[in-house]
Amino acid sequence: MILTGEEIKKQVKLGNIHIKPFCEELINPNSYNYRIAPELLEIEEEIIDSKNPYKTKTVWMDQQSGFMLKPHRLYLAKTYEEIGSREFVTILIGRSSVGRLGLFLQITADLGHVGCQHCWTLELKVVQPLIIYPFMKIGQVGFWINYGSKNKKYSGEYGKYSIPYPSKLYKELNK
Amino acid sequence: MILTGKKIKEEVKKGKIVIDPFDESKINPNSYDFRLFNKIKIYKERILDVKKVNEAEEVEIPPSGFVLKQDVLYLGCTVEIMGSNFYVPIIRGRSSTARLGIFIHITADLIDIGSINRWTLMMHAVQPVKIYPYMLIGQVTFWVPKGKITLYKGKYQGSKKPMSSLAYKDFERS
Repeated sequence: MILTGEEIKKQVKLGNIHIKPFCEELINPNSYNYRIAPELLEIEEEIIDSKNPYKTKTVWMDQQSGFMLKPHRLYLAKTYEEIGSREFVTILIGRSSVGRLGLFLQITADLGHVGCQHCWTLELKVVQPLIIYPFMKIGQVGFWINYGSKNKKYSGEYGKYSIPYPSKLYKELNK
Repeated sequence: MILTGKKIKEEVKKGKIVIDPFDESKINPNSYDFRLFNKIKIYKERILDVKKVNEAEEVEIPPSGFVLKQDVLYLGCTVEIMGSNFYVPIIRGRSSTARLGIFIHITADLIDIGSINRWTLMMHAVQPVKIYPYMLIGQVTFWVPKGKITLYKGKYQGSKKPMSSLAYKDFERS
């Protein structure tokens, strides 16, 4: 079952959902809108090798002029808010207003882990060049009820970071 | 919880799910297949800006088909007017269209409860691909919500054709 907006608000108040800062006007009928932080990572490799770390460059989006995302490139960004829950499963989605401009917010990896509370990394990709702005409402997160007994705390690799975080797949491949 | 095909049919009959026109043969085990309307929108400018009104041109998809190019964003819409005040719809592609490399939404699969209209599809092709009007293009699933329901009253309510982004309205207050 997916939580309605009213239920999300209730669970935030009960402390079962963590959204910080939380703003009631960002609630939708069945999700919560998150904003984008000003910091982006550009990937400075023509060919990414999954077995090796890749070079990145941090850029800061300008409030006035924004930042132009180019097609055929991957950018890593992050949510302005810390988001997570120890009770519910989070699913990271885009907003239709942004999808209608051809911006992907994640690359087929929408499922968040229960217990993970941090600023989420977003995988940005555009179809046509698109200018975006820091702190704009960029996507939404849905909360789902678990079925079954829950694991101990999430102990994954990325949950402790609140910066756009590059892939660590190379660690797995080099084991 | 996700509704089964049988439950979708039952709820359409009771009026708790709107799918208009509704055709029983398009029910799947857990979803309903929807079709592509014959109108498509293409932005006039190559560079888009979330803060601006991005003008778009409406084109009719002829019966002979229309080629989607890579690197161009197309906004289509469903033939069916769909939605529910009781369940949360989530749209997805059909595996048959995905196997042709067609994206039908861009990370925006969740439909607000109470949003009843011809849903806009955000179309993007990995390789050039020809599409045809009224072809089966995607599927919708329905999910049970938990909590008090507040219905959608947003800016796209009542759409009858592809709607380009109204994201610029988010900046009007600031």
